[in-house]
Amino acid sequence: MNYFKILILAVCLFSSSLFSQTTGNRTVGITLPVVTLMDIEPAGNITMNFTAPTDAGRPLIAPASNTSKWINYTSAIASGGTTRRITASVNQVIPGVNIRLQASTASGGAGVFGTPNATVTLSTTAQTIISGIGGAFTGNGSNNGHRITITLSANTYASLSARTNTPVVITYTITE
Amino acid sequence: MKIKTRLLKYFCSIILLGFTTIIKSQTLTVGGTNWTVPIAPITEAGNNYSGTYESAANQILLAASVPLLLGNAKVSVHYEPNPAWHNSLLLAAKRTGNGTTLCVLCTITGGTTYLPFTQTAVELFRIQAVLALASYSNIPIQIQLSGVSVTTPVASYNSRIVFTISGL
Repeated sequence: MNYFKILILAVCLFSSSLFSQTTGNRTVGITLPVVTLMDIEPAGNITMNFTAPTDAGRPLIAPASNTSKWINYTSAIASGGTTRRITASVNQVIPGVNIRLQASTASGGAGVFGTPNATVTLSTTAQTIISGIGGAFTGNGSNNGHRITITLSANTYASLSARTNTPVVITYTITE
Repeated sequence: MKIKTRLLKYFCSIILLGFTTIIKSQTLTVGGTNWTVPIAPITEAGNNYSGTYESAANQILLAASVPLLLGNAKVSVHYEPNPAWHNSLLLAAKRTGNGTTLCVLCTITGGTTYLPFTQTAVELFRIQAVLALASYSNIPIQIQLSGVSVTTPVASYNSRIVFTISGL
């Protein structure tokens, strides 16, 4: 009967494979690309007019600051990659007039937003207005992203001249 | 008499070995196709990705068998970065059907709603064998990926979704 006992033991051991595990797999893959998008919301031009003084000897009355525009952006960068910045410039400078621009801190969205620089006086040379943008999205449309404050002021009266409908194009660029 | 005893042993041996073969361990075969998540490009500044993506309802097809003597088994799921994955990318799986089986009384339960899974295995569903070998084929599995965002570093991410069957 020893042979039979050994056989039963062997069967029991073999049956222990009942509790073994079996596995298999399939893969899932995703590629996240570099994204660099920026625009100004809402669309459309803004008009800012100086007002002539009504009393001799008084200065020009500057227009109220315009805060209707927002910078929206979507940025995706590689880990440890170079952050982005946004620059602004104008196509022409009006003699005797300063056009100043200040971006606010971002609202809406998520991620590593850029940090607004100090107020810049726009010129035909691009100047950084927001820097340090990482992987982030601001949300789309007004009240999302960085609110822009544009202020006009007279600087050198000697350079001023009467003019009407002088279009000044502000160009915003997002770059590394 | 001695010959009869030997014949009896031989007969018993055949029966036992045959029975052992019949009651083989539970098995799991993973079929279907690998899933490459289609990411639609962002076209509007300020927007993010839609965030959540679903595979086809039958992206993965499982074939599982549970021996009668074992009775119950569970199928678990986890992922293994292959080679890189990001913690913000969240995976979930669900069973979108029962598959097919010839066992009338056998049951397959659980896993019909999305179950998030990580690198630690979690039970997705169970199979119960009743009066027969519970053999299911083409059990459809759907995968969900969420947490896709531009805030996740740009890269290609891949993982193995590992299914495991084991006794309860």
